[in-house]
Amino acid sequence: MKDLSLKQRLIISFCVVAIGIWGGSAALSWYESREYVNEFYDTYQLHLARQLSTADWSNIKPGTQDRVNDLIEELEDDGEDEDEALGLAVFDKNGEMIFNDDEDGKYFVFNPKASGFVNQPNGHKGKMWRIIWMKSVDGDYTIAVGQELKYRNKAATEMVEEAVGPWIIGLAILLLAIIFLVTKELRPLKRITKNLSSRGADDFSPLSDKEIPQEIKPLISSMNELFDKIDKMLVRERSFISDAAHELRSPLTAMKVQLEVAELAGDDKETHEKALANLTQGLERVSRLVEQLLALSRLESNAIRYKEFAPLDWASIMDNVNKEQKQLAEEKKISLTSEISEPYFINEGQSFLWSLLLRNLIDNAIKYSKEGADIRIILNSEKLSVSNNKITLNSKNIARLGERFFRPAGQNINGSGLGLSIVKKIARLHNCEMQITVQGDIFTVTINRVE
Amino acid sequence: MRILLIEDDRLIGDGLNVGLNRLGFTTDWFQNGEDGYEALSSAPYDAVVLDLGLPDKDGLSILKDWRKNKHNEPVLILTAQGDVDQRIIGLDSGADDYLSKPFALAEVAARLKALIRRSSNCLVPEIRYKDIVFHPDTKTVEKEGKLVVLAPKELMLLELMLMNRNKVMSKDILENKLYSWDEEVQSNAVEVHIHHIRKKLGKGIIKTINKIGYIMED
Repeated sequence: MKDLSLKQRLIISFCVVAIGIWGGSAALSWYESREYVNEFYDTYQLHLARQLSTADWSNIKPGTQDRVNDLIEELEDDGEDEDEALGLAVFDKNGEMIFNDDEDGKYFVFNPKASGFVNQPNGHKGKMWRIIWMKSVDGDYTIAVGQELKYRNKAATEMVEEAVGPWIIGLAILLLAIIFLVTKELRPLKRITKNLSSRGADDFSPLSDKEIPQEIKPLISSMNELFDKIDKMLVRERSFISDAAHELRSPLTAMKVQLEVAELAGDDKETHEKALANLTQGLERVSRLVEQLLALSRLESNAIRYKEFAPLDWASIMDNVNKEQKQLAEEKKISLTSEISEPYFINEGQSFLWSLLLRNLIDNAIKYSKEGADIRIILNSEKLSVSNNKITLNSKNIARLGERFFRPAGQNINGSGLGLSIVKKIARLHNCEMQITVQGDIFTVTINRVE
Repeated sequence: MRILLIEDDRLIGDGLNVGLNRLGFTTDWFQNGEDGYEALSSAPYDAVVLDLGLPDKDGLSILKDWRKNKHNEPVLILTAQGDVDQRIIGLDSGADDYLSKPFALAEVAARLKALIRRSSNCLVPEIRYKDIVFHPDTKTVEKEGKLVVLAPKELMLLELMLMNRNKVMSKDILENKLYSWDEEVQSNAVEVHIHHIRKKLGKGIIKTINKIGYIMED
């Protein structure tokens, strides 16, 4: 049953139930018919026996039996007499049979103790008979009127058969109707299956829920929602890949051109060396871009899950990032100060992600500020913020910050345009949000919890 | 030949700037659209290399504005997008040719030469003048079938005069075509170059028209 289709299961179950009910009612009706037949013939036998018991059997003569037999023979031909397998016999005090119906009655076996209805085998073929034993009115004779039990069953069966005949046709029609209706009602499912199996891998158009039963509609709408989600994810992936490829073109072009310049330089050592230095910068840019792309793609694919969250050791995260960025900051005469006060706004998460976030923010702050700027990192119970003064950004660019691959004009050659996208993603992953504020020449990125 | 280069990416811009100079062009490089847009009116450029993906003023609108203001200089656009739409829009907006990133420096140079040749109605790859043959592709000069070696600026000057035959070229124009703003120009630089060309190719090749400029007559 497990491997059968829903359609087969429904049809088989309905058929079994229908046949079971049909069979049950046929059996019940046969049983009731037999009861009725029994009652009917018992009454009939009783009447016959009572009539026989009032007759005067004392002056029965030896020839009477034969004469009665002849009379019956004469009668037999013109009545519509149905053989009801009845038999009768009369016995005297000694148990001698003095009269019978010349048929089955002949074989009745005298039963001296019997009175009333008794089921007993007769002397011929040993078949079971139901016989009523009754004393004659004068008490000298015993009357026996019997009927073969098999006949009664047959009569009951015939009665049931007559009633059941039309039922069999009804049952057949019912079974056909079940098969037809189940097939018809399951057709929408078949249609959906066909639609799904003939679909192309990139076809995420919603399934139609027209003519679909109420019970299946939620399934269809969930599937449509899933299609929509997958479709959107694919669009996101594709645009990410095309953006990434697009972003790689610029540094690749730069490297190609710089390589040609190096080749053209010939004896001009200065040009040659400068071109090679530019080439190295181009390589660094590509490496950083690839590194950031991988980080972002890992973040976007949700490969990082909440269950991997662990308590954060903020002191060591801050320490490590500060150390890394110190040299870069000193080169531009930028001062790095951090103000940390417990408790922190977030205590659980992925520490390498927070390091990545902090590194990106400080990196940006160093890149997009003029020499001698101050960078302040604040971590407390409300937020994590990185701010720097002496910004080099104009207001038009600020609005576009955080867009994937957006980079403010010109000056910064090592930016991938992905830093703030990564920061945004990491914040969101930890149920936090990123805010950018500009006041005068102070630029601040704040990370705080979403309420 | 003086080229206006507008490219925001420092590495690409620097490469094109240095490389095109090496290949005999004079270039002025701008890293943002606003300055680049203004620059076209301030010097006699022979061609423009314009990156479409500029952060401030979009390359396409720069191009449209130039064309609206009757600037007919040939423009070569650089597109990062590989898609056809961007190129079609670029060409429809008035660009003369395009290159998709990543491109080679040599290709930029070759296309610029072709554009300049076309715009000066000089479609043959070699220019003949009396007994002199000039090959713009290889930047070589032959006199009576023999190769004559000229310095880069002398070549540029000769090419300019050959392309503008029967036209009087003022000293100012020549100076502007030969030198970018980054280069220091001595006041008698053009005279010195003319002097060298006459010495190498014959006295009568370029005539001086007093106080106006120079002419190359057929």
